[in-house]
Amino acid sequence: MQPTKQNTFEPKIIAFVCTWCTYAGADLAGTSRMQYPSNVRVLKFPCTGRIDPVFILKAFQQGADGVLVSGCHPGDCHYIAGNFHARRRFAVFRKLLEFVGVDLNRLQFSWVSAAEGGKWVEVVTDLTEKVRSMGPMTEFKELAMEEQWSGAINTPELQEAYNSI
Amino acid sequence: MTQPIDTSIYAAITEAIQAEAHRILAEGEVTAIVGYAAARRKGSAQPIIITDAADSVKLIFTPACVNNLAVYLTKAKKDIPKNGKIGIVVKGCDLKALSGLMGESQLKREELYLIGVPCAGVLASTVCPDQELTGDSIAPKCTECDAHLPTGCDFVPAETLVTPELERKYAVEIARLEALTPAERWVYWKEQFAKCIKCYACRQVCPFCFCEQCLCDRNKPQMVDTTPRPAGNTAWHIVRAMHLAGRCAGCAECERVCPMDIPLNLLNRKMAKELKELYNHEAGFEVLDKGPLNMFTEKDDQSFIK
Amino acid sequence: MSRIGVFICHCGENISRTVDVERVAAEVGKMPGVSFSTDYKYMCSDPGQNLLKNAIQEQKLTHIVVAACSPRMHEKTFRKAVEAAGLNPYLCEMANIREHCSWVHENKEEATVKATEIVGMMVERVKKNRVLPTITVPVTKRSLVIGGGIAGIQAALDIADCGHEVVLVEREPSIGGHMAQLSETFPTLDCSQCIMTPKMVDVANHPKIKLYTYSEIELVEGYIGNFQVTIKKKARSVDEDRCTGCGVCMTKCPQKKIPNKFDQNIGMRTAIYVPFPQAVPNTPVIDRDNCTWYKTGKCGVCQKVCGPGAVDFEQQDQLVVEPVGAIVVATGFDLYTIDEKPKGSPIKGYGEFGHGKIPDVIDGMTFERLASASGPTGGKILRPSDGKEPKQIVFIQCIGSRAREKGISYCSKVCCMYTAKHTMLYHHKVHDGQAYVFFMDARTPGKSYDEFWRRSIEEEEAVYIRGMVSRLYQKGDKIVVMGSDIAVGVQVEIEADMVVLATAIQPQKGAELLAQKLGISYDKYNFYSEAHAKLRPVECATAGIYLAGACQGPKDIPETVSQASAAAAKVMTLFSKDQLEREPIVARVKESGCVGCFACKKVCAYGAVEEKEIRDRQGNLIKTVAFVNPGVCAGCGTCQATCPSKSVELDGYTDEQVIAMIEAL
Repeated sequence: MQPTKQNTFEPKIIAFVCTWCTYAGADLAGTSRMQYPSNVRVLKFPCTGRIDPVFILKAFQQGADGVLVSGCHPGDCHYIAGNFHARRRFAVFRKLLEFVGVDLNRLQFSWVSAAEGGKWVEVVTDLTEKVRSMGPMTEFKELAMEEQWSGAINTPELQEAYNSI
Repeated sequence: MTQPIDTSIYAAITEAIQAEAHRILAEGEVTAIVGYAAARRKGSAQPIIITDAADSVKLIFTPACVNNLAVYLTKAKKDIPKNGKIGIVVKGCDLKALSGLMGESQLKREELYLIGVPCAGVLASTVCPDQELTGDSIAPKCTECDAHLPTGCDFVPAETLVTPELERKYAVEIARLEALTPAERWVYWKEQFAKCIKCYACRQVCPFCFCEQCLCDRNKPQMVDTTPRPAGNTAWHIVRAMHLAGRCAGCAECERVCPMDIPLNLLNRKMAKELKELYNHEAGFEVLDKGPLNMFTEKDDQSFIK
Repeated sequence: MSRIGVFICHCGENISRTVDVERVAAEVGKMPGVSFSTDYKYMCSDPGQNLLKNAIQEQKLTHIVVAACSPRMHEKTFRKAVEAAGLNPYLCEMANIREHCSWVHENKEEATVKATEIVGMMVERVKKNRVLPTITVPVTKRSLVIGGGIAGIQAALDIADCGHEVVLVEREPSIGGHMAQLSETFPTLDCSQCIMTPKMVDVANHPKIKLYTYSEIELVEGYIGNFQVTIKKKARSVDEDRCTGCGVCMTKCPQKKIPNKFDQNIGMRTAIYVPFPQAVPNTPVIDRDNCTWYKTGKCGVCQKVCGPGAVDFEQQDQLVVEPVGAIVVATGFDLYTIDEKPKGSPIKGYGEFGHGKIPDVIDGMTFERLASASGPTGGKILRPSDGKEPKQIVFIQCIGSRAREKGISYCSKVCCMYTAKHTMLYHHKVHDGQAYVFFMDARTPGKSYDEFWRRSIEEEEAVYIRGMVSRLYQKGDKIVVMGSDIAVGVQVEIEADMVVLATAIQPQKGAELLAQKLGISYDKYNFYSEAHAKLRPVECATAGIYLAGACQGPKDIPETVSQASAAAAKVMTLFSKDQLEREPIVARVKESGCVGCFACKKVCAYGAVEEKEIRDRQGNLIKTVAFVNPGVCAGCGTCQATCPSKSVELDGYTDEQVIAMIEAL
């Protein structure tokens, strides 16, 4: 560890990408020797259409501080329309996460083509820096720490029922 | 302010249901009818399945007829005869659920005889089943109902109904939550989900939770934490809301049966609101070939994608 | 119990420069399930692969992770090596620690930590990998060709000459298509009939070609290698086996004034007819809408005069099922009818040019029929209105094409060349006549094309005016054409005897309906879409279906013929094997969990999901579940993400594998 990095927060970023466009774009960033933060871990899928919203939830629960989902630009899908289905699915899912109180700055979606090594670097760097400045994602981790059922008696009916036991 | 709601027509509806039920059973048009009957306590109602025309007098419709009977045609169908058409008494919200189930190949229209009930609203709680239906005692879903008069049914007892304009309870609550910061919303839902005892009553009662093996029960792999602890509860409710997005018909049975009073339908309404805004989709009486999350257009919003 | 072998590649120094490979190997070696881990200079080299193969055998390894470059680079290499050592190739995974790690990070500590984690993720993943057998699909070595124009004829002949049976289906009573209608063809001016009809005869005589004319595709079922095609043979009212093609019926038919579509409705035909004298097959068809017998129940002259007794008024439409392994779609084009505004279409008509109202305003194809030696005027250019020879003729280009505001934004590609040809044909036939051409740009790329166009101006005296026509109206027996010459900047007014419009090329009417039957995609104009505009230009995204000719987009004859032969070559590639092998990355349904909501079927872009009935021993229906046809499935996994109960799983990318990776973080 370099001394300057001590006590600084290094976010965990998980990227769910399709193999044909974004994975290839990340490969291109490599072959072009572009540099970006080492925080990202890439999970390869055949298509963004395969990416289940549950994976994003699971990633946050497993301690990810930021999640990236990236695939082919509209019209470029190797499987005709997988990315179009994914687009709807995630448009709705992010609204749900937002409503339950997840800060959407931690969840990034992008189209990165096989030719866009530079865009991959930009997207990953931006997300990493953004999440780094936000600090760790504590919500799901704290939930996981709470072992006991914590049903607070917060309604008069419950209180009454409790008292009568 | 207690706003009275006119339910005087329910008596006439009850009579019409009984007459029609008698006719279709006697003529053999249906082999059974799923409807509501009076229960033991005064004013209360419970689901009933009748197969004999003589039993048609048991059928009623009152503000205590809260259940969505659609569930008796799918996963709770053990008491339903296997052959012949089945009659079912449906309110507008229940009919939406049936339409959704038809769109998802769970039911066939030609195997059903729909008795569509004009409904001004039902009670929020059946703790005191014989209370008056008012702006306070009405179920929150009824304050936002756009389906008081079912259409496309085989029999509709009455075509007119007086329904007062009520404050839209979910819309108000959604707006309140949306105005909060994400952190504040997290606190709110954390408290709500913490109450959950994972009894899965919401899943049992939901007409759309018809999977034989729920994803949330799987352990190989364990996609969703199954424990009744805060982490598992939160995951369950998020996955539940996501799986119902674009499908939920808004019968609010999940919320009604929740023993811990978690505002479950609030999540469903929020998703419905988003689907309306994003894709102009609303649950309705029409049987759709594809739900909004099983289709796409090339021009779908992608402002959130870099 | 898995015995995982992990092999860390140095890639020369490409990886080891920034990743401490020994440390990664040591760290990973401590992971549960890993029984062997090592590092090597070049894993992809022969010694590297041998190291892998030997370790599998000596260490009795069950799963392999090779941490090296991108799987896009060497996954096939290592899976092959693993297979050679006796393991299923799908038990081998690659961890990308070069493109995704050593090349993009400079800090050795960070890169080493990241590489360890990447390898760790792949170790967890590979534990969940299953043995996947290669999927083979039998291939029916017969081909269907839809459309009997030059594209379909060329494809059919090429495939049949290779010894494979071809079923050729044509909607019209004769094959030949639009090319048979043309007079002479650019850039060599050889007579279209002279080069086309021998090919038509070849088709008719070919022992390997089964020809269905006056027939349409009713239904297409199945998938690559195994299609079942239902063909509707429309009732000809003439028995093809008995008819000798003598033609007496046609000479005796009393209905002689029916506009002939083949002659663009300027020539006439009888009710029992062949579209043109060289038709293949030379068997007439009765046009039931115009036949006296069908309209009044009287007449029957053709039946009386027919020696072999071939006329059969009672004949019915017939459905025939043909099993084929590949399909070539060659349905060609239609011309844009500019005077009508099709209902429900964004395309706007060109009423202002008087087509359909002024009889001497004709389209390019009608001019072809006038110029054709076998056409209704015997090759003389005569006005449809009064039969006089036009002395001033105006050609207007880009009618419909390249006009976004009118609904078609593409270039029809062939009009510049055929208009140049028309001016030449006109000049050859009307020596004292003058041809004018209004044009936007002359687009003449192609072998000898520009020279041809220049010739029409320099030698054949056509006057080209750059600009569009603003108005056109009848004045006496003349047509006044008003336009602008933007090169000179003046308004031009020509009193013409005849106007020829180069109307846009469109797909055949109903092209989208056929596409829906075939399950192939089409663009907003209903042209069929190729799988990739550059690299897979003759294949549809739907496996086993290929495109030839103008159904894909405007094309001239040489291009169409090239594409038809290319499509035939693709079909022959498919037919070169008895069994089709494919990567086993396909979706599978777990029937026990499936409740038959068919969300998977709704999102599948390939139509790979079918409905399957599960019955008990007495034959009672228990439930209807989804079934994924492994021959059709492309392996995208959209079905699995959509399935609420995850009862459909994509092999190679199962939830178990994904969750294992996420949990490894």
